[in-house]
Amino acid sequence: MTAQTRALMIALYWAFVIYLFLPILMMAVMSFKDSNFIGFPIRAWTPDWYGEALQDGEFIAAGLYSLGIALTATAISLVMGTWLAVVLTHKFWGRTLLFGLTMLPAVVPGIISAISFRIYIRLIDLEPGTTAIIFGHAVHNVPFVALVVSARLATMPKSQIEAARDLGADPIVAFARITLPYLRPALIGGGVFAMLISFDDFLRSFFLGSYEPTLPVLIFSKLRSGMSPEINAIATMVLIATAALGLWAERSMRARS
Amino acid sequence: MSDTVVHLDGISKRFGRAVALHPLDIRIERGEFVTFLGPSGCGKSTTLRILGGFERPDTGRVILGGADVTGLPPNRRNVNMVFQDYALFPHMTVAENVAFGLELKGRSRAEIGARVAEVLALLELTALTDRFPDQISGGQRQRAALARALAPDPDLLLLDEPLGALDAQLRAQVQVELKEIQRRTGKTFFFVTHDQDEALTMSDRIVVMNAGRIEQDGSPEDLYLRPESRFVATFVGEANLLEARVLRTDGSEVAVDWQGVMLLGRMVGTPSQGTQVGAAVRFERMSLSPVRPDRTNAVEGRIAARIFKGSRTLVELEVGPHRLRTYVSGTELGTGDTAWLGWQSDDMAVFET
Repeated sequence: MTAQTRALMIALYWAFVIYLFLPILMMAVMSFKDSNFIGFPIRAWTPDWYGEALQDGEFIAAGLYSLGIALTATAISLVMGTWLAVVLTHKFWGRTLLFGLTMLPAVVPGIISAISFRIYIRLIDLEPGTTAIIFGHAVHNVPFVALVVSARLATMPKSQIEAARDLGADPIVAFARITLPYLRPALIGGGVFAMLISFDDFLRSFFLGSYEPTLPVLIFSKLRSGMSPEINAIATMVLIATAALGLWAERSMRARS
Repeated sequence: MSDTVVHLDGISKRFGRAVALHPLDIRIERGEFVTFLGPSGCGKSTTLRILGGFERPDTGRVILGGADVTGLPPNRRNVNMVFQDYALFPHMTVAENVAFGLELKGRSRAEIGARVAEVLALLELTALTDRFPDQISGGQRQRAALARALAPDPDLLLLDEPLGALDAQLRAQVQVELKEIQRRTGKTFFFVTHDQDEALTMSDRIVVMNAGRIEQDGSPEDLYLRPESRFVATFVGEANLLEARVLRTDGSEVAVDWQGVMLLGRMVGTPSQGTQVGAAVRFERMSLSPVRPDRTNAVEGRIAARIFKGSRTLVELEVGPHRLRTYVSGTELGTGDTAWLGWQSDDMAVFET
């Protein structure tokens, strides 16, 4: 590779990065604009929108609601995903089929999955609302957890469990005291990603929810009645919090493996 | 005075169509250091895993301390194992690893603390009590794995090639330590290895296995000096193997013809006149001299190679199309010289092929 082509490739990469992050940067910049309207030019700056956002009961309630849903859905998907990952380590007839089925929710288009869930909850007589959203999110999160846990499980030497059994542990004790601690980084990583996916989800929450909006649904409904820098402030705060959480999870997964 | 700890009563095992173990019958006495020696795939590890409860034999019974444990899982047998990769639990300290087996036995906290301290002291690990496995050296990990297996006071300790991961120098040192620990604890050790040197150094008794069968079962001296099969002669130590033909037999002595020379040897089995046999002589049992030596057997040849090995020199003598090897500590003879190799009839074991 010549110096020129390398320089060109690096330049292209930076152009791509700027294209990717410019809108996010704009959003953050606008959150500091001292005006009710979003757009240039910016004549005066203010941090007031953040104060207003933090005192806006509607947003706080929606944020907490989203957080509660994310935590519950993550807990369920951690249990289910780990269970599936463990089952998939064994060789049995139909294993490939089960693996495919486990991964399916991750690749089904969001709109299809949202509509299907909506139809499905009607069939089982479940009202749209919190339970339905949690159910939808949990199912959608399972493949991500299962994938991360499977990858970690594959690196665990067989002798670990054999040693535990040898020292007197029955299969359940061996799982709880040896396998689970070994899976810790995968459980943290998979859990955080599941939480972020759930917190961020719009389609499933929109189709499965009742009148109480999750944070993305609330932001969407606010947008329809006109943009205000307050939304930018909220979005910026959510962005920073989720990015920090995601980066921490990614680091803790790499550090321990 | 026989005190049998383990009796393997006709156990056999196949994996799919491959026979891992032909029916095998063996008793192990209390306090013995028994080594199962053989190449990979010989059935030694399968035997070990059957003892540990990780494999179920297709036939036969495993009698441990007088009780039939054939169908019992590993956690219900009073047997502990040192794994090839040690299998220390990475999230537990050395002390927590050692305590694990005791906790599962439901011992009291005070009892566990005392026993852990005792075992760690025995293995000189006291200073490493609170370290995690990834903070200690390979040799220390090996000792920690041994401590963990010894702590619950098993009837039988299984060791699955535990020295394989150590470098040569450390391995020699650990061999001596391991034997010493076995002597001090009086535990029955069931050791599995493919390294004959390791087996000879540590064992009270060696069981040589090949292709799922026992080739020979005896003391290290027996195996080395009185091999009972071609396999044992070549697998344990270094031996010249002569393809010969039986001339006559007289009690345990046999006369064979090799390259037109009559040689006398000790007979294993019952070869009859005229049959093709293998005759094995240890390298160092052959002595090199410029003139015909005063030994039962002597052959003349030309020195084809001298290989300096430090404390000794390996000399290859060309006899017809064959080469015989011996070790000398020093010789005036050089490559191309004519020389004699001599050995006593007791040092040559003759087997049927």
